[in-house]
Order: sequence, then C-alpha cells, then structure tokens
Amino acid sequence: MNNFGILRTIAWRNLWRNPKRTLITLIVVTVGLWSILAFSMLLNAWAESSRQNALGLLIGQGQIHAAGYMDDPNIDHLMPPPDGALRDVLDSDGVAHWVARLQLPGVVQSEYKTLPITILGVDPAGEREISLVPDKIVEGRYLNGLDDDAVIIGANLAKRLKTTLGRRIILMSTGADGYLEEYSFDIVGIFDADQGFEDSYVFTGRSLLQEYMGLDDEIAQISFVLPDESGLPAMIDTLKAAAPDLDIRDWKQVSVMAAAMNSAMKSIIYIWLGIMIIMMSIGIINTQLMAVFERTQEFGLIRAIGLKPRMVLWLVTLESALLMAVGMVLGVILAVLTYFGFQGGLDLSGFSRAMEAIGSGQVLYPQFAPADFVIYPVLIWVIGVLVALWPAYRAQKISPVEAMRHAT
Amino acid sequence: MMQALVTCRGLTKVFGKGELAVHALDGVDLDIHRGDFATLAGPSGSGKTTLLNMIGALDKPTSGEVTIEGTPLSTMSKAALSELRLEKIGFIFQAYNLIPVLSALENVEFVLQLQHVGAAERRERATAALHEVGLAGMESRRPSAMSGGQQQRIAVARALVSRPSIVLADEPTANLDSTTTAELMELMSRLNRDNGITFVIGTHDPRVMAHSQRHIEMIDGKIESDTND
Ligand SMILES: Nc1ncnc2c1ncn2[C@@H]1O[C@H](COP(=O)(O)OP(=O)(O)OP(=O)(O)O)[C@@H](O)[C@H]1O
Ligand SMILES: [Mg+2]
Repeated sequence: MNNFGILRTIAWRNLWRNPKRTLITLIVVTVGLWSILAFSMLLNAWAESSRQNALGLLIGQGQIHAAGYMDDPNIDHLMPPPDGALRDVLDSDGVAHWVARLQLPGVVQSEYKTLPITILGVDPAGEREISLVPDKIVEGRYLNGLDDDAVIIGANLAKRLKTTLGRRIILMSTGADGYLEEYSFDIVGIFDADQGFEDSYVFTGRSLLQEYMGLDDEIAQISFVLPDESGLPAMIDTLKAAAPDLDIRDWKQVSVMAAAMNSAMKSIIYIWLGIMIIMMSIGIINTQLMAVFERTQEFGLIRAIGLKPRMVLWLVTLESALLMAVGMVLGVILAVLTYFGFQGGLDLSGFSRAMEAIGSGQVLYPQFAPADFVIYPVLIWVIGVLVALWPAYRAQKISPVEAMRHAT
Repeated sequence: MMQALVTCRGLTKVFGKGELAVHALDGVDLDIHRGDFATLAGPSGSGKTTLLNMIGALDKPTSGEVTIEGTPLSTMSKAALSELRLEKIGFIFQAYNLIPVLSALENVEFVLQLQHVGAAERRERATAALHEVGLAGMESRRPSAMSGGQQQRIAVARALVSRPSIVLADEPTANLDSTTTAELMELMSRLNRDNGITFVIGTHDPRVMAHSQRHIEMIDGKIESDTND
C-alpha cells in the first residue's frame, strides 16, 4: 500500500503544525496514563502491604483444618498433629515454615468486663518463624514455651477490659467433655496490631491449653508459608493429595477480607481508569475537531485531487493514533521513572495511625505489574483511536466544492 | 469527426429551492476537444466555477450529462469519481492548491503516490515537472516559503505530473500581479503548444483571455458565445 506512506508523513507533520495544541493534548494524554499507572502501583502497593500484614499476623499463605472446622470452629472439629505423608510434605523444602495451633472460641473476663474472644494455643518457637505477633509486643514479653502459663493480649482489648500488664484475666471455653472450663492467666505481654485483630485474639501456650481443655495433642489448625508464593497452587494440590480428608485452603479462601481488599483496590483503579479515559477522549475529540475544522480547504483540495473519502478518514484517524501513541509512550516512560524513583519505598510513617487502621504497613513498596504497563496503554490507545473516528468522519464528509468555494 | 474529450449536454444546476432558487447553469451544451486551450469568461455569478466543477467531476448537475472520454459521470460512485479525477483531471485553483506540510517536490509527488507510481519514477517525474515550470532547485521548500506565483507553478506541475487528459484552472491568476500572470500564462500556453495538454481556464482577466485560442463567454448560466481564434 503505497498510499499509506505519504499519508503517514502528512499525518505526522500535521501533528506539529499547531505545536501548542498538540502539546496540550499530549500532556493530557501523558499525564492521564501516568496517573493511572502510578495510582495502580500505589494501590497495589497498599493492597500488597495490607495483605502481607494480614497474612503475616496469623493466616500464613495457607491453612489446614479438620473437615468441618471452618464452618463450625469448636472443639468437636479438631485433628491430630500431622504425621505420615502430610508431615513429610510439611517438612519438605517446598514449605518454608509451618506451625500447629489450637484455636477455640471462648470468653475473656476481667474484673470489669466479659468479652467474646478467640483463644489460641500456640508453639512460641514456631510462631517466631511465621508470625508477626511476636514482633508486635509493645509491653512485656512474648510467650516462652508450649506450656507457658501466661497470656498475651492486644492493646485495645486490654483497654476495653480495663486491665494491664501483670494483672490476671480468666479464659473460658467448652472442654473436651462438653463442660465449661475456666482458668486464670497472667498477662505477660501486650501486642499492637490493627484494632480488629487486637480485639479478637488472646494467645497462650498450646500444651497448656490442650491440658486445660482435657485434650491430648489435638490441634485445630496448621498455618504454613512457602519459600516462594508462586508455588502455592501446586503446594495446595500436593497437600490435598497427602491428606485427602483434611480441609486445605489458600489464604484467599481462609480470609475473605484479605481477598476482598485486594479486589476492592482493583475496582478503584478501574474507576480511575474510566474517569481518565473520558477526559482523554474529550481532549482528543476536541483537538481533532478543531484541526479538521481549520483544515477544511485542505481536505477539499486533497479530495479534489483524487483522494478517496475513505483515505481522508484514514488520514485523520492516523493523526489521532500517532498523537495517542506518543502520549502512551511518554506516559509509560514517566510511570517507569516514578517506579524507580520510589523503588526504595514510600515512607508513610507520618500517617501511621491511618495506615494501621487500614491494616497496612508504614512503608509502601510500589508494585510493578508489567502487564499493567502494556494493557492500560493499549486499551487507552484503542479507545482514543475509536473516539477519534468521529472527527475523522467529519473530515471525510467535507465536500471539495464547498471547501474550495469558501477558499477565496 | 473525432470524439470530444468532454461533452456537456443540457446541463443545469439549481442551488436552493422555490423563491430562492439560483439557476447557476441553465442548459449548457459544450464540447471540449483534445488540445483545446480554452478560457471560460463572464461576469461574476455567471456560472464559470459551477461549470468547471461539473466538468471536473467535483459536483453533480441537477439535470443533463457530462461525459469524459465517452464515460458518463452521472452513474459513478464517489469513490469512482475520486479515481477518475486522480487519473484524468488536473486541477489548479485560485488558492489553497498545496498541502502546507509537504515540500514543493512532495506536493507534486503526492498525486503520483496516489497513483501507485514507484518511488524512483515518481521522484524523476516530479523533479522533471518542477523543472518544466521553472522551479528547479526549490524542490525542498515548503509552500509557505514561496511566492504566490511560485505556488501556482507548483500547482501547475502537480496538475501535469499525473499526465491528465485535461487541466481545469479556476481563476489561477486572481492573486497574482501582471508580470507573474504573464509568466504563468506563458507557461501554460507553452505546455499546450508543445505537449498538447488540454486546458480550460475560468477567468475574468483579459490578459488571460489574450493567451487563449478558444473563448467561451458565459452569462446567467448560459453559453453566450464560443469563438476560436
Ligand atoms: N453552493 C452554492 N449554493 C448556492 N448558490 C451557489 C452555490 N454555488 C454557486 N452558487 C450561485 O450560483 C451562481 C453561479 O456561481 P459561480 O460560482 O459558478 O459563478 P462564477 O461565474 O464562478 O462567479 P465568480 O466570477 O464570482 O467566480 C452564483 O449566483 C452563485 O451565487
Ligand atoms: Mg468562480
């Protein structure tokens, strides 16, 4: 197609005929794309940070329970500690760390108040490998061993119970024999996490809790993390094969909240994308309509000379496509530079209270999703070219007779 | 007798409706022959431009028929008419003849590109055409950097380079001073004499008419007189 070469030349040169207008449109398109990519990096960072936080506190990358426990988490749905094939998988190189926990619904009582709670009997040595809670002790200490006769509780729970470090509280839960068991514990540590987490969990030694509840070595939950999260789906399959009777889930199935947070972030990005696409479309239509209007005589001329209407449509569309393409390239370059600029992390510790409320860490690391850097520009480019068909259609409609009649 | 290059039979063109209707052409019969160098004269509003537009396949008559080399235009689609203009007709307008973003050479090459002429031949023919109109050495200039007379010469080169059957020029000298007008007319009549190119030129200008071999006079949309020197 010989024709397209010259049309490309004309289109490209026409872009720079009114440099000011072209630059304004270019800025709109470039900044629009950049904002989408930067926003997406930031929100993904935020989502990732809060996911890491949620997973790091308790969930891990996946969990194993006895069948029925997730629907009815109580002492009737426990399981023995892992052995045999399951134990082999958990101890293999495919799993970085795992811990076994006894987790039971119960009630916590201080002199002032009684509150519902989830009681966790943990293996402190294992938890130090897998959980962020040991690092979040702000007063006192973490648990010492499987039979540590003590509890740690969240800062907000302590406040609500009007109790403090060193005081005693009572934990109550239904024991193996079906009767309510109640024991008192020293508060040896206070931890600081998001408020929901602080209010929900108390931790004590696992062996001790098993003994108090009249159990042998039964557990409620295994939480594990992998050396590399990308192996998660395969590992879930491996575990299911090793323990077909157990309920084995990845973090998304364990924590609907963490998964919902992730998809909410995506929706925000899509809304922003929609707003930016509308703004850019208005910009490109406006620019191209003005350009077409100003060049009425020129379109009349090239139609008179013998350019087919279809080719005029093509010429104007090509101009829009080139303009959008330049904007997309600049937008991507700007976004990549932004990424490298903040690669070391965006320190938001100034807003630490707000960040904690949304369950996120204080330093955000921009998340580079290479697919975003391709999909968004291509999508915007295609939409931009499609909306620019309107001015192009107007140009195609210009009659050479009318155009030349007004030329003098 | 040899078949006419262009025939117009019973051409009328009415703009508007009812009270406001303007009969721009009111029954025109005209034959243009190969090798004609004709001027189309007449007062303003007499229908010169309208008739040139009909011959140039740029506009459709209200009634009547135009044929070019025996082909009637009335049944042709817009795309087919574009093709016909590209292949058979060269246009020179009063102004806005050139694409501003293209150089002199590129403007001339443009039509050849639309005709799918290969790059080497294109360059050669366009350069030769510019040479012929006296613009050798100005190939790479943009129209905005050239005088009105030079721009009209590029338009002549552009109109000729595609080897059309007929060149239609509507007031080609209206924006030119008398020296430049004389030069341009000299150029066109030489091309007619030496190369046998057919010209029809719409004009008010007696200096233009002085160069022509055939004078067609229009009044009120009708041909008033048609004389050969
Ligand atoms: N598109 C149009 N709509 C309405 N009237 C038109 C149109 N084109 C031409 N006319 C009218 O038709 C008549 C003939 O116009 P035309 O342009 O052919 O005259 P002309 O001989 O070329 O005049 P001039 O010497 O001023 O160029 C005029 O009365 C003009 O106003
Ligand atoms: Mg006229």
